[in-house]
Amino acid sequence: MRAEQGSFTSAVAERLIGEGIVVLALLGWWVVARGLPEFILPGPIVVARRLIELFATPEFLWNAFASSWRVLVSIAAALLIGGGLAFLAHGEPWLAGVVDDRIKPVLNSFPSIGWAILAAIWFNPGDFGVIFVEVAILIPFCLINIAEGLRNIDHELMEMGQSFTRHRARVLWRLTLPLLVPYGLSAIRIAYGIAWKIALVAELLGAPTGIGYLMLRAQTAADSTTFLATCFAIVLIFVAGERLVIVPLERRFERR
Amino acid sequence: MVDTTIALGQSSRRRGLLARRLAPHLFTLLFLAAWQAAALVAPSYLLPGPAQVAWRLWLFVTSWRDLGHLGASLYHVAAAIAISFVIGSLLALIPYYAPLLRFAIERRIGPFLNSFSAIGWTLLSTMWFGVTSLTVIFAISAVLVPFALVNMSAGLANIDPETIEMAGSFTRRRAWMFALVIVPSLYPFIFATLRIMFGVSWKVTLTAELFGGNAGLGYMINLARQEFDTATIFAAIILIIAFVHGLDQYVLAPLQAKVSRHYAG
Repeated sequence: MRAEQGSFTSAVAERLIGEGIVVLALLGWWVVARGLPEFILPGPIVVARRLIELFATPEFLWNAFASSWRVLVSIAAALLIGGGLAFLAHGEPWLAGVVDDRIKPVLNSFPSIGWAILAAIWFNPGDFGVIFVEVAILIPFCLINIAEGLRNIDHELMEMGQSFTRHRARVLWRLTLPLLVPYGLSAIRIAYGIAWKIALVAELLGAPTGIGYLMLRAQTAADSTTFLATCFAIVLIFVAGERLVIVPLERRFERR
Repeated sequence: MVDTTIALGQSSRRRGLLARRLAPHLFTLLFLAAWQAAALVAPSYLLPGPAQVAWRLWLFVTSWRDLGHLGASLYHVAAAIAISFVIGSLLALIPYYAPLLRFAIERRIGPFLNSFSAIGWTLLSTMWFGVTSLTVIFAISAVLVPFALVNMSAGLANIDPETIEMAGSFTRRRAWMFALVIVPSLYPFIFATLRIMFGVSWKVTLTAELFGGNAGLGYMINLARQEFDTATIFAAIILIIAFVHGLDQYVLAPLQAKVSRHYAG
């Protein structure tokens, strides 16, 4: 009983210290910002007010929506293409070298800004260019995860499945894909993080809409308040998407 | 009868091996041919041909000025990895030694750093420090810290408590224990962390250099972009792919395998 009480108090203390550090950081920010001009570092209160304003303006919401659906479409496309490549390498041994020694290393070490610049040169500014860049950046992460999943599939389970049916499609649908779900989910989680943190660069160069475009606009206008507020808006949207989409998805498949 | 099946099996396996070995080279040739064909149709500012890019690549590796940009990028990456590795590891060590701070680090600081956009850090540091090397190093470090934090935390969580207990029975000095037991058991994780950071850093470095640098491959690409010099952009990208893949595959991976074998066994 006493041990339980002790762990409870220490958990409360941990929590208090954690939130205390957040408050301290905000206070520190406020003190530092007081001595600096607003275009270098605006205070937390101004930024918080702008953040609330942003979520109340239709223009921002529209741009946030544009970025969000691009991210979702890109993740789906990258999962399909990366997964397809992994299946090709797994199913046709002579293609394994092509995927593992050529496609994967090149995509994996291709700098993200390289894709963004090439897309800006090749395509008109718009959704297609942005999604192209995001998909290109995300493919290697999906490919590596799904390939790892295929490598770890239990061979005896597959053999058993094949003894029940000769239909390859049925084995794929009933056995291979369900076994790959955890790897697919981890690919989605990684791709989601990379999409918001790194792939957003696509919107800096080749997009007339989106959060990346808003950030660049605020930065060129030296509007640090809007810029910081947009950065925090991304953090909020990122966390909201994780809680509303990724975590429920993981829970749904965990129960199976 | 048996012999022939074995022989058949061997020859078909050999053929399979041969196909496996040839296929990548065939793919490279096909890719180059397709590239060349596309370059014949498209204007050179959209898609320069492979020969043109190869020539630019040769000019690149023979020009001190261009190599200087590569050196600047290398310096940015190395400095950022060093800084963020130290900060991330310190952040990971804090909850290990002061459990009361676990919530603050793992639930507040970590997730915040992890969800803050790389573009945000890049443009923010451009506003704060101007167009300098410091901007680039700051932006890359800010992106890399969460990677170091997550990996080193995993490493610390993975240390065998019995080893620590045994070490504790030998000495009471925490510094000794840290240097002789904790750090060596972290070696495999240190290498894995550095390798991941190396990979990610190259994804961000060019972006940071393009927006906030006055030297480096990203800066060079930006100049080339403004002059529609697409061959230079291609050459820089190919150089980075070769460099990153080569170093990762032929230096870091064998080193990591060696360290893991030595310490994990």
